[in-house]
Amino acid sequence: MKKNDNNKTGNNKAGKGVTKLPSMAVNVAGLKLSNPVMTASGTFGYGLEFAPYLDLSRLGGVVVKGLSPKPRPGNPGPRIVETPCGMLNAIGLQNVGVDAFIEEKLPKLRKVKTRVIANIFGESVADYVLVAKKLDGARGVHAVEINISCPNVKKGGMSFGVNPKEAARVVRAVRKATALPVITKLSPNVSDIAEMARAVEEAGSDVISLINTIPGMVIDIEKRMPVIARGIGGLSGPAIRPIAVRMVNEVYNAVSLPVIGIGGIMNASDAIEFMIAGASAVQVGTASFVDPQAAEKVVDGIADYLVRHKMSAKKLTGSLQK
Amino acid sequence: MDSITSKILYNEEVAPGYFRIGLEWKGVLVLPGQFVMLRVSDSLDPLLRRPFGIYKVLNPKWVKSAGGYRGSGIELLYSVVGRGTIRLSRRVAGDVAGLLGPIGNGFPVPEQSRNKEQKVIMVAGGVGTVPFYLLADLLGADSALLVGARSKEVLALVKDFRPLKCKVAISTEDGSVGAKGLVTDLLKEEIAKGGPSVVYGCGPLGMLKAVAEVSESLGVDSFVSLERSMACGIGVCLGCAVKGTEHAARPGRPPEYVMVCSDGPVFKSSEVEWSRL
Repeated sequence: MKKNDNNKTGNNKAGKGVTKLPSMAVNVAGLKLSNPVMTASGTFGYGLEFAPYLDLSRLGGVVVKGLSPKPRPGNPGPRIVETPCGMLNAIGLQNVGVDAFIEEKLPKLRKVKTRVIANIFGESVADYVLVAKKLDGARGVHAVEINISCPNVKKGGMSFGVNPKEAARVVRAVRKATALPVITKLSPNVSDIAEMARAVEEAGSDVISLINTIPGMVIDIEKRMPVIARGIGGLSGPAIRPIAVRMVNEVYNAVSLPVIGIGGIMNASDAIEFMIAGASAVQVGTASFVDPQAAEKVVDGIADYLVRHKMSAKKLTGSLQK
Repeated sequence: MDSITSKILYNEEVAPGYFRIGLEWKGVLVLPGQFVMLRVSDSLDPLLRRPFGIYKVLNPKWVKSAGGYRGSGIELLYSVVGRGTIRLSRRVAGDVAGLLGPIGNGFPVPEQSRNKEQKVIMVAGGVGTVPFYLLADLLGADSALLVGARSKEVLALVKDFRPLKCKVAISTEDGSVGAKGLVTDLLKEEIAKGGPSVVYGCGPLGMLKAVAEVSESLGVDSFVSLERSMACGIGVCLGCAVKGTEHAARPGRPPEYVMVCSDGPVFKSSEVEWSRL
């Protein structure tokens, strides 16, 4: 249905004859995507949960929930609270562990024609390496995304993400441990995002994705207690989008690596904004909670835009006019 | 479970602060005790869908093989408590709204799964009556609805149950309607009447805890419908986690936590770590 809508738009714009849809394909440092739209880790489960609502094969890629060496139970509840135009979460990287992912989830994901990006997480450099090595040999994984930026766990996570030297240490070790393209997901919780980007570029990352959530707090004024049990959580949703667009643009200007834009993308216009700012691809996150079909709608909307502007997805990246 | 754009058929105030909204949903199949995630507006604020228990099925037809009602739409009964429900209360017939569901396991239906002789005692706190209408309609005289409320607002909540064969008893904190006191006092009396019974609860957490304790002390199984902040309703945001006791052994699951949306919302009371809620 959606595809027909696109063709119709294309025909109208081009007048008579067969419309050629401008190329949606992007190549992000060897990671070949049919279009620039991926899902963000932690907002899309292991992908399969969304199969009833959208066509996974129409997405550029699926980034699965962060995987650790062992299963993690996550944090006590309450874990989430709604905020103005956003939400705060402290899930605590609850996940099935890398082994269960490879044995139980991956065989089913392989049957879906999409790119699978495994987000990885550890409490030490050795943890990251262990998970990366296991995924390296797993058929059906097309890239790894290093999470050095989760604010919701005690050890690891963001401590690697706020210190350029620590970040480089993780990236260098993962780079050695896998032949897959390595994406490094940056935290916005730094004073100089360009410095972080340069550090992970130098350490051998192939791609940079950003931003992860921004630490925040909501207080129940009747109880005079934080609403979520852990006190602080990560802010996501459209509230953080302008910060994310600015940081993507700064990183795009600071490094020569491809950039994946993340942060409050609710629709195609938001995604296009990130691409103009310098993103080669984008990840749709919180929007998938609000509407499980959101990511596919973003694909459709970008296609419409590219037809209207007669340009390819590749050309859109970094097309910001001064 | 499905994600649709539904048309609002009606949205009217039935008592001060209480609304019922009808939503078109052709062919929907609802198990008693299921809920939906409803987009209260298209605005980015409030951003997230809201969970609402399904109250009634429009043009219902009982489908025995499925243990649920098939119909042409659903009705929700909600109290206006915050930004989301204020927005929702302003919407009018003809508007469209994103709807996801029906979600969850629902309450066990005795006809389907267990001893038909068993009496179902439904315990509701305030608007916790919502998930019990379909059950009360189905079970009739084999069931009792005990409703606890603060005051007279309870009359609006039980009105629809009156024509059913289900027995209704009320307690209010101020004694303005029914017995003065707590609904758990009614529960003790009802269980004491004897005969095999099972207790279902829906309402504030404190009440559910008390319902679970009373039932356990009198040797009766109880099931509770839990409520937690949730973003997605499909088991991926992992926001509505509750510490569970017996679920830990499920294959392919991280240990310890269960999700209210995808594992519940109805849990056997003995499967929940009440001290951690």
